[in-house]
Amino acid sequence: MIRGIAERLDEWVTQTNLEAQAEGMRRLPPCHIRVLGQTALLEVGSGLSLLATSDVDVYADYEYPIEVEFKRLLRLEGKELDPVGHKIWMPRETEYVRLFQGRFIRLSVADPDAVLISKSARAPDKNRSLLTEYLASGASQRFLSLATQYKVDLERFL
Amino acid sequence: MTMDATEIQARARRRLAIDRRVRKDPRYQRVIGRYVSAGLLQANHAVAEHAEPITVDDVLYVGRLEPRVLELLPAAMIKTPRMFAIPKTLPADLKAVVNSLRQSKEPADFRGVKGAKLLSWLSRIGRKNKLPSRLKSFRLQADEQRLLERISQKLELSETDVVRKALRELAAKELLTD
Repeated sequence: MIRGIAERLDEWVTQTNLEAQAEGMRRLPPCHIRVLGQTALLEVGSGLSLLATSDVDVYADYEYPIEVEFKRLLRLEGKELDPVGHKIWMPRETEYVRLFQGRFIRLSVADPDAVLISKSARAPDKNRSLLTEYLASGASQRFLSLATQYKVDLERFL
Repeated sequence: MTMDATEIQARARRRLAIDRRVRKDPRYQRVIGRYVSAGLLQANHAVAEHAEPITVDDVLYVGRLEPRVLELLPAAMIKTPRMFAIPKTLPADLKAVVNSLRQSKEPADFRGVKGAKLLSWLSRIGRKNKLPSRLKSFRLQADEQRLLERISQKLELSETDVVRKALRELAAKELLTD
């Protein structure tokens, strides 16, 4: 879903910039959208049973017109850009997997270990059953190391 | 950390077995099926979607395992009430949250969900960007009532919409030109 939106957004920016160039106006610069939270887990196929609201959380360095178009495209898919999504804490070690690279839009998703560390550290109650399922499936060594590093209390998920 | 990875997995599996029993519970199936059907939740696994009303008690029960249903509940009760068989008496904490949301005010936290999050859903589910209206009563003189009726007929607007329009035009003139 999110990859298709990035493609359409890239087409829109390309077209907008062609028109701007023809009119001698300033063009929109390239940007990087990094998808976080439940949407990231859904996109990378984490193997966990996921339930997600319509919220989409991202870090992005786009300009306002691109954000407006991104919101519009998300709404067409029944999704909403979380207005405070950019405030989500993610560990420094987060790796972003590239899903799409267009002329102007690059879209990446946060790796599952980092998303789950973020959830276990900042919203443990809301994600208790998800974390239990993940730990039961055999947590990665990286997750366990990050949990120790960020003082995540794994007891509450057991 | 005192536990090793094997012990963590073993204990998580025992807890997961309990969670799975709850997920098989008809109340869980009904609630999640209704939320997914209404587009409030998205699942990456098979869910039996349906359009039957669900009870608030069932949602509160499921919310202990899946707090996202609690996050959406108060706003959904206001914006899409047909989703629910709403009892005459609500739990006091839920009633207080719903009352606050009806006035578009940030409620107190509700069973672990932040008040700001509860409020944020109000404009994002059901009719988007539409917030609940509030009843306000005014006393008008007879000539003012007749004036309101005449403007209403002339503009083909309801009397409420005439007041709204007049209010916005007054605000534009008196407030926004400062």
